Amino acid sequence: MDAETSLLKLENIEKRFGGTRALRGVSFDLNPGEVHALLGENGAGKSTLIKILSGAYRPDSGRILLEGNEAGFGSPRQAQAAGIATIYQETSLYPDLSVLENLFMGHQPMRAGRIDWAEMSHRAQGLFERLGMELPLRARLGDLGKARAQLVEIAKALLQQARILILDEPTAALTTRDTERLMEVVRGLRTQGVAMIYITHRLEEVFTIADRVSVLRDGEMVGSAKAGEFDSNWLISKMVGRVAGQLFPRNPRPTGKPLLEVRHLSQPGLLEDINLTIHEGEIVGLAGLVGSGRTEVARAIFGLDSYASGEVLLEGQPLPRSPQGAIQQGVALLPEDRGRQGLILPFSLGKNMTLPLLRLGGWLGGNLEDKVFAEFSQKLDIRPPLAALLASSLSGGNQQKVVIAKWLATRPKVLILDEPTQGVDVGAKAEIHRLMDELVGQGLGILMISSELVEVLGMADRILVMHRGRIAGELPRGATQEDVMRAATGSIAAGVQA
Amino acid sequence: MSDRPSKRTLALPWSELVLVVGLIIAAIYMNGLSPAFLSFSNFFEITRISVETGLAALGMTLVIITGGIDLSVGSVLGLSGIVMGILHHMGLEVWLAAAIAVGTGALCGFINGQLITRAGIPPLIVTLATLAIFRGLALGISQARSFGSYPPEFLALGAGYLGSVPTQLLVFGVLALLVGLLLAKTTLGRFIYAIGNNAMAARFSGVPVNRVLVLVYTLSGALAGVAGVIFTARVSSARSDAGIGTELDAITAVVLGGASISGGSGSIVGTLLGLLLVGVVRNGLTLAFIPAEQQAIIIGSILLVAVLLNQVIRLRSRRN
Repeated sequence: MDAETSLLKLENIEKRFGGTRALRGVSFDLNPGEVHALLGENGAGKSTLIKILSGAYRPDSGRILLEGNEAGFGSPRQAQAAGIATIYQETSLYPDLSVLENLFMGHQPMRAGRIDWAEMSHRAQGLFERLGMELPLRARLGDLGKARAQLVEIAKALLQQARILILDEPTAALTTRDTERLMEVVRGLRTQGVAMIYITHRLEEVFTIADRVSVLRDGEMVGSAKAGEFDSNWLISKMVGRVAGQLFPRNPRPTGKPLLEVRHLSQPGLLEDINLTIHEGEIVGLAGLVGSGRTEVARAIFGLDSYASGEVLLEGQPLPRSPQGAIQQGVALLPEDRGRQGLILPFSLGKNMTLPLLRLGGWLGGNLEDKVFAEFSQKLDIRPPLAALLASSLSGGNQQKVVIAKWLATRPKVLILDEPTQGVDVGAKAEIHRLMDELVGQGLGILMISSELVEVLGMADRILVMHRGRIAGELPRGATQEDVMRAATGSIAAGVQA
Repeated sequence: MSDRPSKRTLALPWSELVLVVGLIIAAIYMNGLSPAFLSFSNFFEITRISVETGLAALGMTLVIITGGIDLSVGSVLGLSGIVMGILHHMGLEVWLAAAIAVGTGALCGFINGQLITRAGIPPLIVTLATLAIFRGLALGISQARSFGSYPPEFLALGAGYLGSVPTQLLVFGVLALLVGLLLAKTTLGRFIYAIGNNAMAARFSGVPVNRVLVLVYTLSGALAGVAGVIFTARVSSARSDAGIGTELDAITAVVLGGASISGGSGSIVGTLLGLLLVGVVRNGLTLAFIPAEQQAIIIGSILLVAVLLNQVIRLRSRRN
């Protein structure tokens, strides 16, 4: 497409931060009614590019053309006025206000000096009809859940006449079903002529939704292709700059004796009669929709939450009901929220990695941090390999490797991984998967929770599917996505084993 | 090439430099107000009076690093002193009474810690309530009387010298060293910083968060108890109104020392510098015959400026 028909065009954008060139002559264009996927590993320059488009950063050189006219966005306000809206993963909405109030926050229509509520709901309803969305206008936003909050955010942008939407990993925290719903909305927007820049780590979404894809690597635009002209191998090789190994490297092995046994675990309102066993050398997948109780199972086992009845055994012995006790006996939990639960971001990598090894009432050993860091930074290829670096300064993938290293340093027998590859780029994802396979090869047992069905199907030896606080089904390796979804939505008790 | 701004905690050398400069300016100014200020004997006078605030500030440093606050230290000081006075008045051996007083302080802190961790009430509210309760107890059990007549070897703790150094300054020095070591060299110290920076991640990492918090508040109470004993020895009487307002000076010293009021950063060295500054200002104002009410206004203003400065430096380091 040439500049005449492009809605938005970037030409030779350069941006430096100190000594690093975050963007090296990047060009990019977007047509009306197009979904243009933007891919790249963490740190490839996607965020910088978005921030330039949304007016948060100014490029050092290069041109931004909006409908053929030069437009330098000096501030987020100017970008907004030009019709560009960015939908971030973390919404900027007010959880205690209603959907309607959130939609018009700061732009309320007025009549006779008072807020015109009728006009507000009229406009909102009109928009929802056009998009085929349904949202309760009077509900408190905080009660809606992440997925629908995101829809509110999108609707809010459209009410302010946004023509270009930048969606920054919109599905990172969504369940499969919510992702479907979002895809429908995106398709609807496309037919209305809204152009979208769609950033994601999930390749399958690129195939379902994108009209075009562009890949950034190390600040350079390394490839661009139209729908139907690329496959996942092409995408991965462009992103990592080499032909990546398999994404799901699994070597099936015979399983050993039972390690972790959960018997009749119940907590009223959350969990109902949970039974599961993890053997030496096996990866058990725990699937289900968000809110089905997967994380709650992990938290109860690890002693973070109490439970009313049932027992948890490790190698036949009752597991203490506290994280300290669980860690000492050889159970580790990698939590779902890396930044808030997994790491202390203002702490150094060394301090983070050794935290679970410390016991109250001791001295800090002189070189414990260096020793642990030296061993695991090499094993997991953590970059840069500096123990004194603050955790906040690493990319998502490397942060996740630090969390994994922290738990491996406790020499666990059972590893519970809650969304181990969420928000992690493809390269790091493949590395984490390879490591999981290697660990079970050494006799560990892994319980893996993941919202990404492909990952559960690709990695797990057995899949337990949760639905409303119960284990609704157990599926063997080789099950299909449909099998899992049926069990997860409670439509049948698929393949339940006695 | 991370797009995330690096979240540096407050650069301590910076804030300590500011502090030292502030100290010098204050000292010169105070010397202008009263020529007696810059003398050797006056220096020890400052430290002698600062020791009670200092003990409270040591505990306060730990508490503030965890992200909490202990407003009850002044009342704990008063209650511990009264317990010691009454027990001694009843005929108990003076050092045993002093030990029980320190234990009383520890118990007060333990109660604070239990209310904060078990009942989940914010530290500000818990210690505001116990500030009133402990003071009320001190007034109640003493019937507003004071208790005197201690043996000279006990009074030496508050008014004597070892060499040319005031006795309580040595006691304080040892305790400051111990608390400093605890913070910098033990697992408890690491846990304290971990909790202040991210209590949830600390819990997920197996840090016994509640036990650490109870310990920290207990320690704060025990140190306030020691301060109560030293106060009694210094003025040679236990008074139920002892230590009123100590929390203001202690918190000011800790915040001046670079601790973030939202938790996660702070150090004993910083607190000691902050303490010296507060002590210099208090002493200078007293020598210049400035009444206590006006002193409170000045110390309160210093606290506000310190917090403000802290935020400015933090914001700046975040932008870079």
